[in-house]
Amino acid sequence: MKARQHWLAAIGLLLLAAPAFAQQPSPAGRIKVVSGSAFIVRSGGTIPAEVGQTVFESDGLRTGDDGRIGITLDDDTRVSLGPSSEVRLNSFRYAPAQGSVGLAMSFLRGIAVYVSGQIAKLAPDSIRLETPSAIVGVRGTSLALHVVSE
Amino acid sequence: MIYARRVYVLVGVAVGLQMACGPLRSRTPQPKGQATVVLLPESDGSVGRATVSNPNGNVELVTPRASTRVVPGLAPEVVKEMSEADVMRLFGDAIGAQPPAPAHFTLYFEFDSDELTAESRVLVGEVQQSVKGYPAPQVAVVGHTDTTGDATANIGLGLRRAEVVRMRLIEAGVDRSSIVVTSHGEATPLIPTADNVNEPKNRRVDITVR
Repeated sequence: MKARQHWLAAIGLLLLAAPAFAQQPSPAGRIKVVSGSAFIVRSGGTIPAEVGQTVFESDGLRTGDDGRIGITLDDDTRVSLGPSSEVRLNSFRYAPAQGSVGLAMSFLRGIAVYVSGQIAKLAPDSIRLETPSAIVGVRGTSLALHVVSE
Repeated sequence: MIYARRVYVLVGVAVGLQMACGPLRSRTPQPKGQATVVLLPESDGSVGRATVSNPNGNVELVTPRASTRVVPGLAPEVVKEMSEADVMRLFGDAIGAQPPAPAHFTLYFEFDSDELTAESRVLVGEVQQSVKGYPAPQVAVVGHTDTTGDATANIGLGLRRAEVVRMRLIEAGVDRSSIVVTSHGEATPLIPTADNVNEPKNRRVDITVR
């Protein structure tokens, strides 16, 4: 009886701890181009963007009305934004040796260009590009997107 | 409270500006969340493929500059071709902010060895030249093996091959902090084979410069 309670307590602690582990963001890419005002949106705050900074899974990118930014993800995917624009990286996995790849992004507002990388070659169905009004599926593709903000 | 009111004023100005001189410069106000998606040709002239869908319908973009507009709550509109001039007018700022395209190199090795083939040794200089063209460059060095021998041992052999390439790149002048070395062993062959097949094209190190 006692042993069983200990087990239950241990399992309960693991369940509590699991979300904390799951929230550890992993690196997804790097900022390569910045001009004007451009920011990384991370955990609700903003960080001025600089060339060379690491972009993590679940980071967002935002530009001011004079800003532009370009990033390259670790699978060679490239994403760039014009002024007054915002995207969010929802998930990124690139572990081809383990057969685990995937990319999900939201294009929230403004203008963006997306150029697909290795994930689009290995598993195109694992890519999900969202806009507020539609979802875009790709087959080895470069796209330009415009999303009207409020 | 005052702060909140100021935020509202700012948002109001932003909405006004967006309507007056937003990227699409449309005369009629555009609904929030409306998306325009354009398929761009690849740098080599080829064209990919994209599907734009929502619960109300879907369209395929398959030709250069094929575009669709999606109003929230409605199906994607009929595909039209956007002119090159309009693509540049609308998306020029984002196109101009594109990072350089990553470059790929493959170096080959002698059988069961971490010794580069003579032809591949020459490529090290090309990689070093390429790295100079990238802002905050990253050099991913991934070692691979053929399927001869044990899979676990092959992870080690792939790593030794990648380390040899790392040392060569550093000798050639590549900043060591930009290099990341990993091994896939025999997991991701260039030429898929059965187990225990001696395949020279799988004895390689893939380098990506980005």
